[in-house]
Amino acid sequence: MVAPVVPKELPRFDRADGAAKVTGDARYGADMSLTGMAFAAFRYAEVAHARLISVDTSFAATMPGVVAVLTADDVPDVHYSPVVPDRTLFATGTIRFEGEVLAAVAAMTAEQAAAAAAAIVVRYDELESVTDLEAALAPDSPLVHEDWQSYAVSGDTVRDRNVCSFSSISKGDIEAGLAEADHVITSRYEADASHAAPIEPRAILAEWQGDKVTIWTSTQVPFDARAGVCETLGMPTNKVRIIVPHLGGGFGGKCGFHFEAHIAALARAGKRPVKLVFTRREEFLAPDRRREAMIVELTTGVRSNGTISARKGRLLLDNGAYAADAAFFPQLAAMHAAGPYKIDHVYIEASLIYTNRQPSGSVRAPTAPQACWALESHTDEVAGALGMDPVVFRKLNGVAEGDTGVAGQVYGAIGLQGCIDAAVENATPSAELGPDEAIGVAVGWWPSFPGASGAIVRIDDDGGGQIVTGAQECGTGAVMTLRYLAAQELGMEPTDFEIVYQDTAAGPYDTGATGSQTLINNGRAVVGASQRIAQQLRELAAASLEADPDDIVLEAGSAYVKGTPAKSVTIIELAGIAAGDQLLMATGSETPPPYPELATNCVGDQGVAAWAGPQFSCHAAHVRVDRETGVVRVLDVSAAHDSGTILNPLGALGQIEGGVLMGIGQALTEGTTYDESGRQLNPGLVEYKLQTAADAPTVRTCFIEPGGEGVGPRGAKGLAEAPNVATAAAIANAIAQVIGRPVRQLPMTAERVWATSTEAGDNT
Amino acid sequence: MSFLIARSIEEAVTALAEGARPVAGGSDLVVGARHGADTLPSKLVAIDRIRELKVLQLDDTGCTIGAGVTHAQLMTDATIVQHYPALADASALVGSPSTRNVGTLGGNIMNGSPAMDTGAPLLVLDAAIELRSQSGQRRLAIAALWSGPGTTTAAAGELCTAVLLPPAGERSSSAYVRLEYRRAMEIAVVGAAASITLNADGTIAGLNLALAAVAPTIMSVELDFAGRQLNDATLALIAQAASTQARPISDLRASDTYRRHTIGVMAKRAVDAAARRANGELIAVPVNHALGIGASS
Repeated sequence: MVAPVVPKELPRFDRADGAAKVTGDARYGADMSLTGMAFAAFRYAEVAHARLISVDTSFAATMPGVVAVLTADDVPDVHYSPVVPDRTLFATGTIRFEGEVLAAVAAMTAEQAAAAAAAIVVRYDELESVTDLEAALAPDSPLVHEDWQSYAVSGDTVRDRNVCSFSSISKGDIEAGLAEADHVITSRYEADASHAAPIEPRAILAEWQGDKVTIWTSTQVPFDARAGVCETLGMPTNKVRIIVPHLGGGFGGKCGFHFEAHIAALARAGKRPVKLVFTRREEFLAPDRRREAMIVELTTGVRSNGTISARKGRLLLDNGAYAADAAFFPQLAAMHAAGPYKIDHVYIEASLIYTNRQPSGSVRAPTAPQACWALESHTDEVAGALGMDPVVFRKLNGVAEGDTGVAGQVYGAIGLQGCIDAAVENATPSAELGPDEAIGVAVGWWPSFPGASGAIVRIDDDGGGQIVTGAQECGTGAVMTLRYLAAQELGMEPTDFEIVYQDTAAGPYDTGATGSQTLINNGRAVVGASQRIAQQLRELAAASLEADPDDIVLEAGSAYVKGTPAKSVTIIELAGIAAGDQLLMATGSETPPPYPELATNCVGDQGVAAWAGPQFSCHAAHVRVDRETGVVRVLDVSAAHDSGTILNPLGALGQIEGGVLMGIGQALTEGTTYDESGRQLNPGLVEYKLQTAADAPTVRTCFIEPGGEGVGPRGAKGLAEAPNVATAAAIANAIAQVIGRPVRQLPMTAERVWATSTEAGDNT
Repeated sequence: MSFLIARSIEEAVTALAEGARPVAGGSDLVVGARHGADTLPSKLVAIDRIRELKVLQLDDTGCTIGAGVTHAQLMTDATIVQHYPALADASALVGSPSTRNVGTLGGNIMNGSPAMDTGAPLLVLDAAIELRSQSGQRRLAIAALWSGPGTTTAAAGELCTAVLLPPAGERSSSAYVRLEYRRAMEIAVVGAAASITLNADGTIAGLNLALAAVAPTIMSVELDFAGRQLNDATLALIAQAASTQARPISDLRASDTYRRHTIGVMAKRAVDAAARRANGELIAVPVNHALGIGASS
């Protein structure tokens, strides 16, 4: 058995925020309070598609305690959102989904605010909703955005009517590739939408001082939130300060700019601080982040020798009412539907389709769990058609060093093959499987995202360190790991450092807790800054020890001349000297590593087909099916991951375990259902069923570190999203083995498993 | 809003007569209010500190369970586990550890949800309840309590003070199983309770079967299997009877078709587990976890 990787030479990792979170010292957004503050409430559309006639706030404004009521008339007329700016702060003219904000109220108590919001008189004419992805493509379909052509779209985004963004992956000659196949297998899969469901519903508090506003908000991306406030309220960057208190999870749901500007505008109009705290229901309904529903049609041609000759695919993604950050989803979904395989002829096209549902947006590994589930279920069908073992089939067709991927990228040292071997080896032995139990295997992949990021590192006069960073901690521990990186460069202990973070007025720019890239980018910045301080320390020590700076070693809190550790000076002493002179401080950002060039012809390129630092994974899920009811229990998941060099093994293990559990939820119980007009039927945790601690299986994790292809410090790649890619697919393949055919809808609820298994029975 | 902490049943029923609603664990009332299902009543009387509601005693006439006894107590109490295991099975499946620590038997049955877990066990165990009001006390067969989803035949001023169970017989036992999609924080999709008494030759002397979440109230299944051997053929007939007599609806949790099918599965599993217990086999509480029914193992 391959031993799970556990901390090797790395020290035991203490999270700098751990004690505060465990003892209750940590303050979250909803804990924040300012003297004289008022409370916000939104008036939502509550209908999915309508012509908005009027929003009459005149009575609400006179109600007890009300200090401000805002509608679209009270804020600049600005369309925002990256790539496809199709959104305004408040609905004007057309209501496109039920969670659209029509008006915002601030009042002296939360109850008064809610009462006033309810008293606003809204008039509208309901319109026919667009909810069916195929029907939305019809030439006579109603349009979600009748003025779609007017948006100031950036990049190579391809659009048409209800198609918000279209992309294709194209390689070789698809028809020739299918023609040379001995078997051609076609499958169709359909995934429901789901939610990020962080434990903390978001909270925002805004306070003005003169022409500057400070906003405490539960966001994963403080700099994006700042940019959104500046853009929509017409403010310069340095007048807006975003502070994130401790964040109670996000999973992508708190990426992007959301409601910070609404609350800032309320605080300005009400002339007092204003605070918003979402209910769980609002957290389900209002944000433009949900995991999109998806239809995946795949056709794969294989030769009798088991090699894949061609893959063709058509994907329809449910965008919901606004683009949010989803313009790149089609291309990313197409990559996941193509998969980490050697295929000469590929054509996959994907459309992101406007509907009158909540907007979709980045939720942990956007598009991947659904598309991977479809592809890997299909892969088992293909292997089955050949009579080939699905693991052997994946080994034969999976990419390895030197191979060319589906988008033309040639890979260096990568760990897919090692992941397959390790996941299978660590899985429950087949001999130990009970009745109605099986092991399903699936592979997954995910890009790393190099980008700009900055940090400041200081050593104060007593030798204690400060890392001032723009990076955002969303629970992954990525920011916490920065202390370890700085300590390694400076010969100090991680606990010698405090971290100042989540404040746009203090830390340099960072992309935020999105795209699994905090450690690879901000880690690079912290290492860069720390190396500059190390050089300062070496020069100070060289002067003190009468040696060449290049010969100075920093270790265990001291500087000494190489080869003579006895002759040393402590970093505390050096810090004392520097405190009266040039100070020990440095900035780091460093040029991000480049993205590989896209080597194939892709229509609607959004920059996510050629992957820097590609991560690979293989999950093997041991599952039991209660055949009479269709209830599935996941007993054991063996997960093997190539995320490059693992910098923080304990944190990495936690990410895998959390990702697997989230994947089980998506596989079995987490699905959002809608009424015919596009309104959610289960926006709460009673009927939207997350997995619980009692459902958690044993998770066996193995990290494969192939060397090469890393984009972060010491060859690290991203990590936090990858474990959420292949779990649902592995579970699907195990279920299919037990009941004899794949379940073609996600989540694979007990009823769907039972219905599929019953169909199978009818056919025999 | 007024909130009274009652120290005695008399204080509590006086408050009820003045229009207050009782609250014990609050796991239905408070959660319901927060979800907007119902606003919190303007008058509340807390009954969780009334000592008389906490009794749990067994004597020759049967078992008396105070309405304030929690699910956590019921799932671990030796008397309940030994003599009335279906009730322990059901209590062990309610919500989460925290729900079971605050949620009470009285609250569960008086809330009247057709998906309640303890209702079907009490029905097959021929339970009665005691209702107290300012005008006195009455005893009501549990079968006559529920009148529809969320409604009971108890008057507004009446407080459920205790649940009474007849003595458990020789060679008899009971079990409750339910269909659940996850192992905690779950509400019954469908559930079935069985109480069985076997003759010395192993044939069925008496069999009660009740179903949860497949009708507007907890419902009994009409069965006539006295004298039969409990074999696969009998279990299949039991499953069929449950499926046929159930009146399920379609909702977010399941379609009526799926409920009708799975209630049969739960019914035969409940009867099978009850019979095995009656034969002296030790099946730990809850059956769901012990036998790997549904999502559990």
